Amino acid sequence: MFFIEIKDTLGISSILVIGTLGMLVMAITLVSVIVFHQRRVLRFNRKIQLMEEERQQLLLRASIQSQEEERQRIAADLHDDAGPLLATARLYLNENLIHQEPAVQLQAIFSSKQIIDDAIQLIRNISHSLLPPTLKNFGLEAALKDQFEKINGSGIINASVRFHDNRERLSDEQELFVFRILQELVANIIKHSSAGFIHLTQNAQGKNVYFRIHHDGKGILQQDFERLEYHSSGLGLKNIQSRVRVLKGKILFEIDSSRTYYKITLEIPR
Amino acid sequence: MFYLLFKTNNKQKPLRVIFFYILYCVVNEIMGYYLQSIKSENFMWLFYTFTIVEYSFFCYFIYIILPKNFIRKTIPFIWVGFVTLAIVDIIYISAKKDFDSFASGIESIIILLLCISYLFSEIRGSNSLIIYSTFNFWVVIAFLIYFSGTFFLYLLANKMITDPSFRKLYFIINISFNILKNIFLCIAMTMKLNDTVNQQKATIPDLDDDLFIQSNTNYQS
Repeated sequence: MFFIEIKDTLGISSILVIGTLGMLVMAITLVSVIVFHQRRVLRFNRKIQLMEEERQQLLLRASIQSQEEERQRIAADLHDDAGPLLATARLYLNENLIHQEPAVQLQAIFSSKQIIDDAIQLIRNISHSLLPPTLKNFGLEAALKDQFEKINGSGIINASVRFHDNRERLSDEQELFVFRILQELVANIIKHSSAGFIHLTQNAQGKNVYFRIHHDGKGILQQDFERLEYHSSGLGLKNIQSRVRVLKGKILFEIDSSRTYYKITLEIPR
Repeated sequence: MFYLLFKTNNKQKPLRVIFFYILYCVVNEIMGYYLQSIKSENFMWLFYTFTIVEYSFFCYFIYIILPKNFIRKTIPFIWVGFVTLAIVDIIYISAKKDFDSFASGIESIIILLLCISYLFSEIRGSNSLIIYSTFNFWVVIAFLIYFSGTFFLYLLANKMITDPSFRKLYFIINISFNILKNIFLCIAMTMKLNDTVNQQKATIPDLDDDLFIQSNTNYQS
């Protein structure tokens, strides 16, 4: 009715012009809104992408830095310990060429043998620190138990491990990554938290394996971990995060409800 | 025409559909002039069939470019429904009148709705391309603007016979929007496929060796 009334007063041509203009304005408005909205969304996505790139770069740098530090440590061990040992052994053997008395020669050979044994032990230690033989030969559970026993033996901290369900083991590569993550976490706890105890628990549920570290020292929470991840320092945490990402797992830093101990939970899909 | 023919080297399927649509429009115009000049009674049939063919071309085009969603699935059904309705209209309703634009009105509404659904699916999707950098967008805009502008024209088209001033306005508006539609279609046709592909490549972050080497160098320095 309303339309007919307007039609009578305005005339058909006016309705046509007004209607056409109205439709055109609506179409242009719609297109403009969509274009501007999409541009805004793209700008936002680009910003997110840049942030992610920045974070990847930080992780990459952290990984390179960690490799360099490891190399420097091995170089220092070889240079400061293995080098002098072998040089001393060489001196003894040289002495053997000068002194012809059998007793002196025997003594020099014996000393050289001892020094070479020390050098072998030293190189073995370096090799073990790179890849623990227990991990390679007996798996993650044995390697962690071995590691925790050593920590316990030092008397600095009370360390214990308990594996609840390790019937279905992770792959060798996953075990190595988990071992490195836990090693780094434990090293951080010993270094920074002044904790009296560390307890590691393992369990499996469905397709995931869980590791949880409890300690009573000064810990960090998830927000601290995420903040430090973007910080230029905190190399160890970045390494942890990049390893967790490779494993497609999750890591969670919490404090218990009684606020007496901190919990770090690592979730790894098989 | 020659330009468009030249541009058909671009073997994109949606653009080929549009190219054949333009070709059909040109043939239809020529046929229209010819039938009008000989005062043929078949002129109106040309108009009615144009609605169905135009709608079919657009449906096929939008069917190709839409992502797999509910609207895409309904397009064949909408097409069948409309074509049936248009045929019934031609045989039983329009044949009894001098001029009827019922089918054109329905066609306009459906095409407008499909255009809007395409635009919304584009902004909802995770496409990293700017919407107006694709030729699909310009084709859809051409149809959106054309059918928005001529919607009232077709609704009131039956007044053309009785009102001479309306008839004049009808042709002005129709021709203006037709020109506008062709301009947008030309923009779509001139958009090279390479531009789209290159832009997509540019949005992918450079995470290859260069980044590694650069960060490595920075670290060492």
